[in-house]
Amino acid sequence: MTLAPDEDLMLQVRDGAGEMLGVLFDRYQTPLFNFYSKLTRDRMRSEDLVQQVFLRILKYRQSYRPGTPFRAWVYQIARNARIDHFRKFPREKAFEPEMLPPVRPTDSAQEQQEVELLHRALLQLPEDKREILLLCRFQELKYEEIAELLGCELNTVRTRIHRALQELRKSFHQLTQDRLKPANTASAQNLPPRGGRHEV
Amino acid sequence: MKCERISELLPDYLQGSLSPDQHRNVEAHLEHCTDCSEEVAVWRKLSLLPVEQPSPMSRVRFEAMLQAYQAGRSNQSAGDSAWGKRASSWNFFRWLRSPLGVAAWSAALLVIGVFAGFRMAGPKPPSPDIAEIQKQLESTKQLVVLSMLQQQSASARLEGVSWSTREQQLNPQVLSALLHTLRYDSSVDVRLAALDALSRHSAQPQVRSSVVNALQEQQSPLMQVALIDQLVEWHDRDAKPHLEKLRQSQDLNPAVRQHADWAISKLN
Repeated sequence: MTLAPDEDLMLQVRDGAGEMLGVLFDRYQTPLFNFYSKLTRDRMRSEDLVQQVFLRILKYRQSYRPGTPFRAWVYQIARNARIDHFRKFPREKAFEPEMLPPVRPTDSAQEQQEVELLHRALLQLPEDKREILLLCRFQELKYEEIAELLGCELNTVRTRIHRALQELRKSFHQLTQDRLKPANTASAQNLPPRGGRHEV
Repeated sequence: MKCERISELLPDYLQGSLSPDQHRNVEAHLEHCTDCSEEVAVWRKLSLLPVEQPSPMSRVRFEAMLQAYQAGRSNQSAGDSAWGKRASSWNFFRWLRSPLGVAAWSAALLVIGVFAGFRMAGPKPPSPDIAEIQKQLESTKQLVVLSMLQQQSASARLEGVSWSTREQQLNPQVLSALLHTLRYDSSVDVRLAALDALSRHSAQPQVRSSVVNALQEQQSPLMQVALIDQLVEWHDRDAKPHLEKLRQSQDLNPAVRQHADWAISKLN
């Protein structure tokens, strides 16, 4: 297993060492997949998009310049791939609770609940806010890199992150409050009998 | 310090990039401000969100893509590029362990072979054409689906069916394999999944007629109910006589008969 920095590997890919892209794939496929899956909640599309990113790396490898941080470069490609993909195939699915990933069995009950509510709160954010939180919290991009990625000032990034976090906090707080209320509002009479999903 | 002032510092506080003085100021504020401290808590809780893993097929697809690309490259300029010369040093073996891996690899290698042959024989000027590689990748997906549908293990066949749903358009071979799965697969789960996959392609006349025919053939009540639901979802009035016929079958499960009655009333 090579420990070479991403940038060196990418330069080798650029200069013809195709097999080095495999090392970069191993390092980035899970973070990229999580970026997409937490943004879209669609595993299949996320996997397709990860493939698109690596195809684009090959396609644009000659444009990679020494000194460019690979992480920032690859997320630029990832964002563009997503924008192009959703332009071609608009989303038809809204978020549904069953799209949440399974909770690990080792988690405590309270933690499970927090994870679920946090997931929901995150999904309630507008996509641009969710994206900026994912980029800085999960993809570990520096604010400077995010500024370059989004084409804005560093201070704008700070403000956007703070606003996104404020909204996430409110959403999470609201969901936690709702969870504490007794669930007596759902009326049983509205529940359809078998085959009810076809009732129009 | 006020919240507005803190809000300017908070993002840097979260990344640990404040000066020690500023850091202390923020901490002092957090001690008595609920909103700001909740924001910090939510930020920290984000680390609880699980890291999701892509399926093993993701790596297989990547390798097929890279091989296809390299095949295109080495054809383009035999000798002047390192791409064609370097043997791959990755450890493929862990992918080959599972039957799924074998199926996927066979499919991928077949595509690579076809691709390489096509590139060598083709009269076109050889250049690494991305559009063409993408076309080949689509074929890889189709071949993966086709070979997975023939696997021994039901879970591999299930995965094959679920793969087919990635496509907006079904290739005729995949369609026919799915129709075969719908009728003859030994696992009811796989047949149900095939029905679900096919339901997205109701515009194809073959799909509708196969679902109607399956109504007479399928013995599993689960499958019968799913087929009935599908016909109701399509508002397929032509299915009514078939539903009538089904409900008159002697050894029909009473729940299925009841469901067929419900469907007939919906289609009226």
